[in-house]
Amino acid sequence: MVQKVTINIDGMSIRAPKGTSVLDAALEYGICIPHLCHVPYLSDIGACRLCIVEHVVNGRAKITTSCTLLVEEGMVILSNTEKVRKLRRNIAELIVAEAPNSRAIQDIAIRCGVKEVRYPFRNNDCILCGRCVQVCTGRYGVKAIGFVGRGKDRRVETPFNLHSDLCRNCGACIDVCPMTVVPCDGPMKVGEERLCGKCEPKMAFAEETPGFCVWCDLGEGFQCERYTLGVRNQAYP
Amino acid sequence: MAKINTIGDLEALRTDLQNYRNSFQTTLIVCGGTGCKASRSRDLINALKKELFKQGMEKSVLLRSTGCHGFCEQGPIVVIEPANTFYCHVSPDDAEEIIFKTVNNGEVIERLLYTDPVSGKTIQTESEIPFYLFQDRQLLAQNREVDPCSIEDYIAIGGYSAIAKTLAEMSPETVIKEIKDAGLRGRGGGGFPTGQKWTECRDAPGDEKYVVCNADEGDPGAYMDRSVLEGNPHLVLEGMMIGAWAIGAWQGKVYVRNEYPLAVEHIRFAVQQAKEIGLLGENILGSSFSFDVEIARGGGAFVCGESTALIASLEGKVGEPRPKDIHTVLDGLWHKPTTLNNVETWANVPSIILNGSKWFGSKGSKNSKGTKIIALTGRIKNTGLVEIAMGTTLNTVVFDIGGGPTGKPIRAVQTGGPSGGCLPLDKFYLPLDFDALADAGSMIGSGGIVVMDEETCMVDVAKYFLTFLQDESCGKCVPCRLGIDRMLEIITDISEGRGKPEQIDLLEDLAETVSQTSLCALGKTAANPVLSTLRYFREEYDAHIRQKKCPAGVCQELITYFIDPELCSGCGICKRECPHGAITGERKQAHEIDLELCQKCGICRSECAFEAIKVK
Repeated sequence: MVQKVTINIDGMSIRAPKGTSVLDAALEYGICIPHLCHVPYLSDIGACRLCIVEHVVNGRAKITTSCTLLVEEGMVILSNTEKVRKLRRNIAELIVAEAPNSRAIQDIAIRCGVKEVRYPFRNNDCILCGRCVQVCTGRYGVKAIGFVGRGKDRRVETPFNLHSDLCRNCGACIDVCPMTVVPCDGPMKVGEERLCGKCEPKMAFAEETPGFCVWCDLGEGFQCERYTLGVRNQAYP
Repeated sequence: MAKINTIGDLEALRTDLQNYRNSFQTTLIVCGGTGCKASRSRDLINALKKELFKQGMEKSVLLRSTGCHGFCEQGPIVVIEPANTFYCHVSPDDAEEIIFKTVNNGEVIERLLYTDPVSGKTIQTESEIPFYLFQDRQLLAQNREVDPCSIEDYIAIGGYSAIAKTLAEMSPETVIKEIKDAGLRGRGGGGFPTGQKWTECRDAPGDEKYVVCNADEGDPGAYMDRSVLEGNPHLVLEGMMIGAWAIGAWQGKVYVRNEYPLAVEHIRFAVQQAKEIGLLGENILGSSFSFDVEIARGGGAFVCGESTALIASLEGKVGEPRPKDIHTVLDGLWHKPTTLNNVETWANVPSIILNGSKWFGSKGSKNSKGTKIIALTGRIKNTGLVEIAMGTTLNTVVFDIGGGPTGKPIRAVQTGGPSGGCLPLDKFYLPLDFDALADAGSMIGSGGIVVMDEETCMVDVAKYFLTFLQDESCGKCVPCRLGIDRMLEIITDISEGRGKPEQIDLLEDLAETVSQTSLCALGKTAANPVLSTLRYFREEYDAHIRQKKCPAGVCQELITYFIDPELCSGCGICKRECPHGAITGERKQAHEIDLELCQKCGICRSECAFEAIKVK
């Protein structure tokens, strides 16, 4: 028998099995907390920081990532306050400024309410979310790729940059990569990157009832659990 | 040496050692810390040894090579007891004179005495020097008394009596209560109450627990932990033993960075000595307490000073922090409860046990007790390691201990290393404690203080620390990796004259995001250099952005060099030294700088004897 605890997210009481993360519990109930580095069923590293929430302890709210925070009896979480939205928007802005050439990232930016990017765009191929590394090590236990270098030299690489004998060419790393989802209009040229913004109208509903999953279609790129589990298809057959 | 099996053995050994030490009439103390070693103190020690041997005095004079005395810029330092004569800048050639005059005849060599740069007088003993006068040296003073490679020295000055007292008469709970009552807070920067950490670790489930000593000190210009570990490693070991007894651990680790070769060597030697003598190992001093310590060397990553990154590194993984939703006191090294404290925190423990929490609590300010070691550097007369009671004002530290400015007037201090902030002169009334500095937007951090004068550009300071943090960020989380990168991009724009007024708002917005959402303390504090300079020196940012001027004359893109024809004597030195051939002029006539050719390297300015070359 799995022990269940009751937590409170944005005023709603939610029951979740002990040991799950706040993010998983929220997604289960259709509370949309944007996330990127989270890969379902794998332990989280808390790298992208998009899933931040306010955790209220003794009347003091602390900003923390919901993917690494495990549910506890009586926990109070605020997932959609003004402060959280602002911080989340700033983080999404940082991410999309690095890699405008991915629909998944553009979708996240829209979902987090990014209207303009105040930094010069950089056209990077990798945003170091670490999903590939997590899948390779966590789900397949192979460690054919990993992080190399520190700080601005950090990159994902095979050991010693040689083809690894451990790699089974399963392609799971490619499947989870948000950079492989090309923008609808095709890749943007260097110097012409912009915030796409075409899907923004889809978010209108979400802005009215903030914090809820509105089956926004924007989860495909980063494999939003709701999307991949086909919840959408069940709800709207 | 025979093994020590009981507390009685230890006390008997102590008496013997003290008698041996007292049998010498004169003691020659030479600083062998890293700073003095760089100024050839090892050669000096050899020269003194040779000289003593030559004069047949090796039996009557004790020569001791010790750890850091703190006043590193005056090194090598020699102190001659019992008169406590203090010599500075001693070279190996002075050895003969010191032995012949001071040791034999009791004469003082004027030439080697310290001259106070403020009053211009020579001072004979250490305690009268203003640099030492305003300090409260609880930890550093012991450095003078012991040879770091000699456990005998440490025992002779009362070492290991705190662990003896603990094992004989104190239960773990009383030890923790004593530490709690003393109000000891972590010296590594966070200022977390040590007693509370120990309680949580003691109460954590599981019987395999660890104590870890964090000696991965990486702040530029700071070397407090280094000096303690190099100068008195047994003190740290004893602190760790008491901590281990209190939380119920039997294994300890010292994580010391490999760039501190002397510290690695000394702590290794100390552990070996303690094992040989039976103070580490099974059933210490005849009690049921067993404890062992291992040394791990760090690879030089700044982020490994962060507790979870340090633990990952100890486990042999990549040194990256992990989320701290579960604290290391519950889930630390190898997923076991772990108490991790800084070198200085551990070093404070034995004296609290010996002298009581009241004694410790009597020093310091309301919520910050005890003393703190500060690495004082920058544009002041006296630099070095300073130990002060918490709550001493910045004014005292900068002007009384530091001796005031070297040239231009002082305008700010930077406290707490790269994660700290800058405080302007009108905040110098602030006491140095955890809370007062945090409220002012800076922090005491691990204890680095850099004093800056009017030739320092605050935008450049923020840029320097951001560059450091960008290099040292592990790159795992987005706000730290990309946020610092973008902040640096904006600051670089500002310092190179491309800044726009709206970038200040963006900078503030970004800084807040980075400090609120980063994964570990490195990112959470990374915005401090930016936020504090923006708070206190906004007009300087405005000058860079609106007038495209650097008031301090530092930011190269915004300044031009010119020669004041009134002051120029036409000596031609600048013309000769300029690597770009940008200076022209006839001999004995005012020279000129060709701005097209000038690369703003500043060589001419530093070479000019008449201060005729100016920056605007």
